[in-house]
Amino acid sequence: MPLHDVGYRGWDGTLQNGTAAGVIAGTGIRLAWKSRWLRRVVLFAWSPALMFAGGFFAFEQAIEGGSVAAGREAARRLDGFGMVGQLVATSLGGTLDDPEAARRIVWSRLLLAFMRAPQAVLLAVVVGLVAPRLIAGDLRARAWLVYFTRPVSRLEYILGKVGVLATIVGVITLVPAVSLWLVGVLVSPSLSVALATWDLPLRVIGAAAAVTVPTVLLALAYSSMTAESRIATFAWFATWVACWVAHGALTGADLAAATRPGGAAAFESDPFADDAAAFVPRRSHRLGWLARAAGVDDTVDRWAWLSLYHAQGVVQAWIFGIEKRFAVVLAPLMTLVAVAVGSLVVLFIRVDAPARA
Amino acid sequence: MTESGSDQERERHDLPVRLERVEKRYGRRLVLDGVSLDVPPGITGLVGPNGAGKSTLVKAILGLVRLAAGRVEVYGHDPAREPRQVRRLIGVVPEDDASIPGLSGVEMVQYAARLSGLPAKEALRRSHEVLDWCDAGQERYRAIETLSVGMRQKVAFAAAIVHDPALVILDEPTNGLDPLERRAMLGRLVALARDHGKAILVSTHVLRDVQSICDRLVLLVRGRVRLAGSIESLTGAADRDLRLRANGPLEALAIRLRDRGIAARLADDAAGLLVQAGDPAAVVAVWEETAAAGVEAWAFEPERRPLEEVFLAALEAADEADTGRTAHAPA
Repeated sequence: MPLHDVGYRGWDGTLQNGTAAGVIAGTGIRLAWKSRWLRRVVLFAWSPALMFAGGFFAFEQAIEGGSVAAGREAARRLDGFGMVGQLVATSLGGTLDDPEAARRIVWSRLLLAFMRAPQAVLLAVVVGLVAPRLIAGDLRARAWLVYFTRPVSRLEYILGKVGVLATIVGVITLVPAVSLWLVGVLVSPSLSVALATWDLPLRVIGAAAAVTVPTVLLALAYSSMTAESRIATFAWFATWVACWVAHGALTGADLAAATRPGGAAAFESDPFADDAAAFVPRRSHRLGWLARAAGVDDTVDRWAWLSLYHAQGVVQAWIFGIEKRFAVVLAPLMTLVAVAVGSLVVLFIRVDAPARA
Repeated sequence: MTESGSDQERERHDLPVRLERVEKRYGRRLVLDGVSLDVPPGITGLVGPNGAGKSTLVKAILGLVRLAAGRVEVYGHDPAREPRQVRRLIGVVPEDDASIPGLSGVEMVQYAARLSGLPAKEALRRSHEVLDWCDAGQERYRAIETLSVGMRQKVAFAAAIVHDPALVILDEPTNGLDPLERRAMLGRLVALARDHGKAILVSTHVLRDVQSICDRLVLLVRGRVRLAGSIESLTGAADRDLRLRANGPLEALAIRLRDRGIAARLADDAAGLLVQAGDPAAVVAVWEETAAAGVEAWAFEPERRPLEEVFLAALEAADEADTGRTAHAPA
């Protein structure tokens, strides 16, 4: 028996209220972080930020040098592929008449591209590694007894689990994106640039939320539907792949129909591309009148609502002020809202289902 | 409020658990059928065959299930309306292993403490204190999934009492424990009840445990309370036999006692003599004859029915009552 053993003693302190979600999130993050694979992926997830930081640097060099070409070349030299340089050049449309306006356009696009291209894909992978175990593991280990026999509500439990994923997603998307903005400010000629672009970090937060909320809730909903985390993992990746394939197939079919001689398709410019050669097709649709009546403009990437990834892209572009037509955003936004609400309903029904059985 | 009204109110808040005509259905199946029950301070054993509704009863006390009818109160709080207050007053040791893989034993207890609302540092301090009391040793630092069954049971018990609840509910607390650990666990329960005033509700199949530590017994069969009362009253023999525990020529002693007009017979288990000695003079006579017969006696105590016998008799009675009810039910 230990020397300091004092036997059983009562405790007359005050029990705190409303701390359960934070406790669940904190412990969940600590447990998830024990995974070597997760640490590696998160570390790797920061590597694209280095390339995009080169983009910010290249652009600021271009402004100082007074030519886009210089910026493009600088970027090409920095990232080794010319991707960032191409983005910078096409974003500006070859002019640098108004450096302030140009900076806003280029920074927004760089941040959007960063959050879309590498981070969204990495995010799907990381969420697929972590999320399936969060609730399925509790169901399997009967850990729901640990929570629901204590003063923990369903909402606190869900918020705690969301907190785990939101933190990891934030580390992958939000923190590097805000860091990129900071890098942009630091490599710009004056710190007054921070004041001129103060809204960009807020837009980054909004764009990160557009990704995080539906993604995290969907992943947790899958996790809550089974005690086998492998099944939840499969469902998660299958959803992304199926939606992507469906979106690609339908868009491809539209494109094929549009390029057929006599096809009833029209072309609209892609609001996300400045290159005049980039078009997406539009076909007259049987229910087009309904979409228009509902205020849903389906003229651009009309299948974006079908895929979580593409729907997030449209909404993020809107948050960054690149897509300005709300009608285009409405359907993808509704998709994200529907996914989030549906997942939340499933979570509320499922998380303490064994306790009620 | 009148004085008697305020007394009733105080009594309600002092009573750990009160159930009044509680009904719970899963679909068409009636799992709790008008259960009315008071769980007073002390140790109460909840026994019953599998599927009797014990787990559902515990869930009803915790406010985890919606009742079809009736009312549950835990220290005067309604678990359905005030689940947070109720669960703060309760610590639960579930039958099944319920843990968070990846946490060590002490982390698990600290996690439970923090979920119950203890501040972080206090949770850690108290976790160690309670684990010391449970004699957990250095094993507390091992990952919970690598612990032995007994050690896991200690961790689950420590996690249940770390926030110092007024009511502790345990489901099969001695499952998988070796005899020493079992005795230690029962000792802790007795200490909590006797020395610290906790109310303890033990759901178990081990009647020996119930008889050794419980003050009261509740027998649940097919969702109905068939037997409830103090262990003493339930196991007391109806004919007020006394058992003389002794070595020596017991048969001869029985004959000598009968010659003096005292009913005496060998116990069925042959471990002593059953004597009907209702008055002090008869007791004196028993001692005199014991000495005269050369019998070495070491105990003379009221005979108790084994709890198992009480349990089986109640089950049979329940079966007969249910059969009768079915037979008399209108077609």
